[in-house]
Amino acid sequence: MSGATDSLAHAVKEQEEGLLNCVHCGFCLPACPTYRRLGDEADSPRGRLHLMRAVVEGRLDPGSEAFQTHIGRCLGCRACEPVCPSGVEYGNLLELARHVGGEARKPSLLTRLLLRVFGTEWLARPAMFAGRAVRATGIPVLVTRLLAGSVPPRGPRLGLAMLAASGPMRGLRAAPAGSGSPRPAARLRATVGLLTGCVQAGLFSRVNEATVRVLEANGYQVVPVDAQGCCGALHAHAGDLEAARTMARRNVEAFEGAGVDYLAMNASGCGAAMAEYGSLLSHDPIMRDRAAAIAGRVRDVSELLAACGPVRGSAVRMKATWDAPCHLVHAQRVSGPPQAVLDAVPELEVLPLAGATECCGGAGIYGLTHPHLGGWIGGDKVGSVLESGADILVTGNPGCMMQIGAGLRLAGSEVPVLHLVELLDESYRRAGFYAGRPDHGNGRRP
Amino acid sequence: MIPGRLTKELARICGRDAVIIDRDRLLVYESDALTAYRHRPGAVVLPRTTEEVRRTVQAVVRHGLPIVPRGAGTGLSGGAVALNGAVVIGTARMNRILAIDAPNRRAVLQPGVINAELSAAAAGQGLYYAPDPSSQTACTIGGNVAENSGGPHCLKYGVTSRYVTGLTVVLPDGSVVKAGGQGREAPGYDLVGLFVGSEGCFGIATEIEVGLLPVPEGVRTLLGIFDRIEDAGRAVSEIISAGLLPAAMEIIDGPTIRAVEDSVFAAGYPTDAEAALVIEFDGLEAGLDDEAERATRFCLRAGAREVRGARDEEERVALWKGRKKAFGAMGRIAPDLLVQDATVPRTTLPAILKGISEIGKRYNLIVANVFHAGDGNLHPNILFDRRDLDELERVEHASKEIMQLCVDAGGTITGEHGVGLDKKHHMPLIYGPDELDTMWGIRRVFDPGAVMNPGKVLPEETEPSHANRGQDPARGELVGAPAPA
Repeated sequence: MSGATDSLAHAVKEQEEGLLNCVHCGFCLPACPTYRRLGDEADSPRGRLHLMRAVVEGRLDPGSEAFQTHIGRCLGCRACEPVCPSGVEYGNLLELARHVGGEARKPSLLTRLLLRVFGTEWLARPAMFAGRAVRATGIPVLVTRLLAGSVPPRGPRLGLAMLAASGPMRGLRAAPAGSGSPRPAARLRATVGLLTGCVQAGLFSRVNEATVRVLEANGYQVVPVDAQGCCGALHAHAGDLEAARTMARRNVEAFEGAGVDYLAMNASGCGAAMAEYGSLLSHDPIMRDRAAAIAGRVRDVSELLAACGPVRGSAVRMKATWDAPCHLVHAQRVSGPPQAVLDAVPELEVLPLAGATECCGGAGIYGLTHPHLGGWIGGDKVGSVLESGADILVTGNPGCMMQIGAGLRLAGSEVPVLHLVELLDESYRRAGFYAGRPDHGNGRRP
Repeated sequence: MIPGRLTKELARICGRDAVIIDRDRLLVYESDALTAYRHRPGAVVLPRTTEEVRRTVQAVVRHGLPIVPRGAGTGLSGGAVALNGAVVIGTARMNRILAIDAPNRRAVLQPGVINAELSAAAAGQGLYYAPDPSSQTACTIGGNVAENSGGPHCLKYGVTSRYVTGLTVVLPDGSVVKAGGQGREAPGYDLVGLFVGSEGCFGIATEIEVGLLPVPEGVRTLLGIFDRIEDAGRAVSEIISAGLLPAAMEIIDGPTIRAVEDSVFAAGYPTDAEAALVIEFDGLEAGLDDEAERATRFCLRAGAREVRGARDEEERVALWKGRKKAFGAMGRIAPDLLVQDATVPRTTLPAILKGISEIGKRYNLIVANVFHAGDGNLHPNILFDRRDLDELERVEHASKEIMQLCVDAGGTITGEHGVGLDKKHHMPLIYGPDELDTMWGIRRVFDPGAVMNPGKVLPEETEPSHANRGQDPARGELVGAPAPA
């Protein structure tokens, strides 16, 4: 038996027990963004589980068009998990299914290329540098503005618009920084290590900086964790489990070495993946327990902040609406803490967003690999943001920020997209919490 | 597989992406929520309008193929399973609410609208749609019409047929019939009444008009905890005998409690109890406390360990979620299940529950009960693993015995799930040849060519024209897992 066939048989066997929990009740159908739009049960969670089971039973070839198409078309948003009475671990099964599917038939060149770049440091750094350089020319913003109105957003247009949307939003810093004395250091609550991430570090360094400041303002000591790398979420979602495991091992060792109480996450996709390191490495006798221990210390930044109030800053008189990232609300079941953080911003009016817990269509690299459906789902999200009447959209994951930001800009909207910590950070800046700090006293970036 | 010419024709009518013919893709349509019956359809078509349905029906019939309508595939009697390569007409894309007429308390919808979403859409006007099948977050109104669905609150409010006031129906000959409508009493024969509950054997409803009710002013929800399920059954019987009219009375037995409490829908039912009885009163605020008080006393007298009221809306919602998601939670106990739907006179509940438990023990099977106790509508769930062929056989025997037990007690074989494929062979337990002949006669008026959902509801061998009429109905359609290749 060849290595590939062997691992295929193993993965298939592994799926069987998980699949048996599905009794076919169909309660997941209305929760699924692809089923809701396409109406084909093969594009529903129940249908996909049925296809997986057919592979396990030997009735379906994992290389078949049906398996490849419908397993591939899943967003991986996991909205089906919280509505499943039998507790089917759909996210895990999907990754295994994609692994099996990928062994039977190679994923598209685009998918392989993107994963390769994210997973390889010497490729990721220059790629992110190039991204920043292109962004700095202002060309993406210009092109996006020229293309505005040409919905649905997809293809290279979407790529450029996403790059444009990853930049800092203007207009928020109209108010001057507070001049009061810096906030006296709060009692030390805990030490945390921040996962700086690949996309986050490459294109959203300002979010990482804001995360450190707001955590420190709330009594956390943020310890640098130098040996860390990409979390492997995108690889796991695409079924490249071996690559994901290699990255997981490296991060487990890095964060163990840092000896922190918590791992702080400001990208919910990464948070969900790291919280599941235990099951990802469950077949590794050496790493299994260590991975589970590290996974148990993973917290979204909103959870850490909500656990201590958080401290209130100065008024931000704006209308905001919150879009819940799938991997925060569905995969990690975190829904209250972001609300608590929004409530800590005085005079911020929080408006409801229709379909706030439905996927934005970003879904990792989905917007790029499935431009039509991703654009459709993204277009619906943009529509509900515009209907909400909000003048800023707040969310908690870089992929969602770029997807929704790109969609808004291509629709000709100026509504900025902010990370939750950026909003709190601005409230703190106005309160003068950072007065005297080299990077923030005057409202300008270093 | 369907002929290439038909595929082309269907694609012209509904669009290429609305016609599914790939054999692998069709696998997902091989069963509904009762997975014991599996047959792959010849094709699936997903039309969007009445006109598309009409032309689809005409085309399929012209090619001599049978048709099976399908909503969300949440049915529990195999009604939406396509036998003999039938073409499935799915309503998933016909999911628009066409009008909510609040002053007249009416709504007009396409059949693919999800039950709970109608109530959600009407909530702003203080209205809701009363029939609430446990699958209401997923099942469609079209499916509800086909099965004449019930639900926990149908104890007080009645089932689907009470709310459907008008229908647009595509018949197998391609004609489009409008029955009832505008909420008024329709003169002549009651075609709406005839069509509701016809299980897809008469035609396909493409527009449905329903009545809505005002959201009740007040509601009280009680949870009674019992150490013996028979005691809970007795409490139900006594509450009704005393003249109280709860909106709902539901029993959840021990094994089900434990499966639910293990799930994300944990409702706070004590896991050491052998029965939880959920009782709800609703209506005008005045008098509700008194009714709840009296029901509490009946429960305690019947042997309840404890009775408590839901303190707030959140707790009430949790109690109901636990009940309504119970079927899905069974997957935590075993991979497959067969749910029965017999209805018995309420007074016989304690004896029947005991009998079911004995049958389960005799065949060494887990039987979990969660049911509409107020209506005497039982849902024994027989849990099994279809990979175990010996177990599969025991399931079939136990299922038949449970059915016989209920019929002997003066009950009937289905309360709300429909007859479908699963219970058609039990029809002669309830009806004699004259009744079956009458039903065949009505069916053939609508469907003379036997193309609408054939093989469902009535056993073929009872059809007056059938060659082997009167012979023993064939049995044994449960399927086990195929051997891996």
